[in-house]
Amino acid sequence: MRRRTLLKWVSGCLGALCASVVGIPGVSFVLQALRKSGSDVDRVRRVARLKDLPIGKPVAVPIVGAREDAWTVHPDEVLGRVWLVKRPSDAKDGAEPTAQVAAFSATCPHLGCAVQHDAKENRFLCPCHRAIFGLDGERVVAKKGSQKNPSPRAMDLLDCRLVTDKTTQEVWVEVTFQKFEQGLTKKVLKA
Amino acid sequence: MQSFLNWLDARTDYRQLLAPIRNRVLPAGPRWAYSTASCLLWLFIIQLVTGLLLMLSYSPSTTTAWASVHFIEQSAAGHFLRGVHHFASHALIILCGVHVVRVLLARAFQAPRELLWVTGLLLFPLMLLWAISGNPLSGGLKGVSQIEVEGHIIGSTPWVGPIIQRILIGGEEVGHLTLTHLYFLHVGLLPLLVIGLLLFHIGQVYRHGLSVAELGGPHDDVSHWSAPNLTNLAAAHPLAMMPPRLKYFPHQTVRNMTVLTVVFGIVAAIAWQHGAPLDAPADPTLPHTPRPEWYFRSLFELRRYFTGDWEFVATIIIPAAVLGFFVLFPMLDRKCSPRVSAVLRVLVVLCGVGTWGGLTGMSYLRDWKDAEYIASSVEVDALSARARELADRSLLPPEGAITLLRDDPKTQGPLLFARHCASCHSHVDASGRGLVASEPSAPNLHGFGTAEWISGTLDPQRIASAHYFGKTKFAEGDMVSKVKELFDGIEEVEAVKMRDDLKLVAQALSTEAALPRAAAAGHDAQAPIVAGRELLSGRLSCTDCHRFHDKGELGSAPDLTGYGSREWLLGMIGNPQHERFYSGDRNDRMPAFAEDTEHPERNLLSRRELNLLVDWLRSDWYEPPMTSVPAKPRNPILAGN
Ligand code: FES
Repeated sequence: MRRRTLLKWVSGCLGALCASVVGIPGVSFVLQALRKSGSDVDRVRRVARLKDLPIGKPVAVPIVGAREDAWTVHPDEVLGRVWLVKRPSDAKDGAEPTAQVAAFSATCPHLGCAVQHDAKENRFLCPCHRAIFGLDGERVVAKKGSQKNPSPRAMDLLDCRLVTDKTTQEVWVEVTFQKFEQGLTKKVLKA
Repeated sequence: MQSFLNWLDARTDYRQLLAPIRNRVLPAGPRWAYSTASCLLWLFIIQLVTGLLLMLSYSPSTTTAWASVHFIEQSAAGHFLRGVHHFASHALIILCGVHVVRVLLARAFQAPRELLWVTGLLLFPLMLLWAISGNPLSGGLKGVSQIEVEGHIIGSTPWVGPIIQRILIGGEEVGHLTLTHLYFLHVGLLPLLVIGLLLFHIGQVYRHGLSVAELGGPHDDVSHWSAPNLTNLAAAHPLAMMPPRLKYFPHQTVRNMTVLTVVFGIVAAIAWQHGAPLDAPADPTLPHTPRPEWYFRSLFELRRYFTGDWEFVATIIIPAAVLGFFVLFPMLDRKCSPRVSAVLRVLVVLCGVGTWGGLTGMSYLRDWKDAEYIASSVEVDALSARARELADRSLLPPEGAITLLRDDPKTQGPLLFARHCASCHSHVDASGRGLVASEPSAPNLHGFGTAEWISGTLDPQRIASAHYFGKTKFAEGDMVSKVKELFDGIEEVEAVKMRDDLKLVAQALSTEAALPRAAAAGHDAQAPIVAGRELLSGRLSCTDCHRFHDKGELGSAPDLTGYGSREWLLGMIGNPQHERFYSGDRNDRMPAFAEDTEHPERNLLSRRELNLLVDWLRSDWYEPPMTSVPAKPRNPILAGN
């Protein structure tokens, strides 16, 4: 009887060993997708000249760069869009000029559709599930009826500053382009 | 033949193996209602066969998926097979639902058939997963945006959601790996799972035979059912002996095959008529409003009521609870008397179908009333038709189908114009259709460079209208006054003559543009052009201000040499302040879109965009020969999946 038990154990272990030889690399192969994708250099980009931006009317600018996709790289792809909102400068002289322009990621915090500008109401509207945002990026609840705002949070504000070009002396808007997890109430940077 | 079969049987015992099928008896005789099961099985086999055949030519990757599907669509057989594969999947889902309802109403889930019931219920969501893993494989706009949304739904589930999402998508964003992963699911893992469950499910059917309820026997006493074979069954229910004991084959089989023929006939007819849809190649830069397939519309609607962190209630908890309820339903049912059970089951079916139908209907109704959604699906349909049109023209480049619409002036032109030009310029035809400027303050550019457009600038009434220079500072400029002068104080006869002359000038100038449409329409007769040119530099003295070939000087008015040509427009939009156009302070608010040749990335328009815009303004794009029958307009809502 003891011999029998031993033999059962041995066959079981040998079987498990063979299975793990395939199983372990198998699992790690499947989990490859969890690894961080390639380098994301130079997220800071010049997107527009300050003088080209109208006041109080959002402008969408594309963020162009190299996009890596498993085994291919697409050199000039639109990686995303950013809405720029230039506020009327109520600041007195000497105030921080950065405050003049706000940059929002055009990716909807709800499920990632492209947020559009609703020209009629002059606010942002996501066509997918009708999330509405004000020009300050905050959620707006549609007045009529019970319809709630599907977005869990306000539009994602991106770091944005004004720089003066050394040669042309033009003022440019520079944006740090980042992506955030969708569907969360908090703004979490995509790993 | 018979002797061969005998020989085979002696060696393989196949008759023994097939005996359960060949000798199967339905105690209550054959019924049409039983056909749902067999029909499902055959549809499933049709899916396997058509799917395997499609695999011969399909290639999963973002660069090849759409292209290979379009390649399949090019042959009549491929078109038909893909159509069958597509529509049979819908039929399969509908039949699955019917089958579950039938089994529920027949109370066929009672002991000892619980595992039959549970495996059947598990097959249903697996079937749905199987279907939705197939939709994005075509690399089309709708399928890919669906998987994006589905990925986000999975990702917003607490705890494991994000991990599963990343494994499914194969990284952060939809790409090659998304397609290979879905392909793995669609043709590998899910078929194996479904086949495994299905074999078990069918094995159970043979083991337990039909249920008491289906046999029409007494409902209450389940104790007989411990003995699983048909002899006992018949002994326990003498009534079951009453009808002649017809064998399953062929008496039930012929009913099954009739139903299958009808169902498959419908599927094949639709596949033959319409084929499976193939929408535009997926491109995140194209605007699109994704909607789920019809069978997920109810969940889509449900999700509207659970927002923010609670969304997973609608997407995960409620569906799981419904499934759990059905799985455990036999336990609830056992406690009820037959009469209560009958009422309960009818109620469950009515509530289930009612809720599902209600939610689905509400979702469609919402879209039906949503003008923006309808507009966007009409647009997507137009893009899809255009993409197919371009792909039919020639084989695709190695970068794949995404270039089709990206390099198409007809598609990109309006987008670029809306983004960069339409704050001042309109682009509307005579009937007012097109892109209307938000604050029109510059000429309407529809038909720019055509004789018709140019003659407007030579017409004293029209040149100062809002369609031309009315809203610009040129309204008070030399050109307007010069054109008005031409008609000052002349008699009617002379005015008619003058108009004819100007028509010649417009014609001569429009040939400078060398518009492809104009040449095709035969607007390039030589004699009037020569006359127009002479007038231009001669009697009408346009060259006093404008340069025209070797006459006149640059610097005071736009160059008329090559006016409206590709090269002229590229220069004008790139930098209107160049001396060829409106140098110095003569330029009225027109920005330079591509003046910086050293740092092209600082320009408002890239070289590519500029080319596309100019080609579009000149209507210089591919149109297929007008032989094809125009496609029937499809219902944007029902086709919107
Ligand atoms: S993705 Fe924007 S509202 Fe749902």
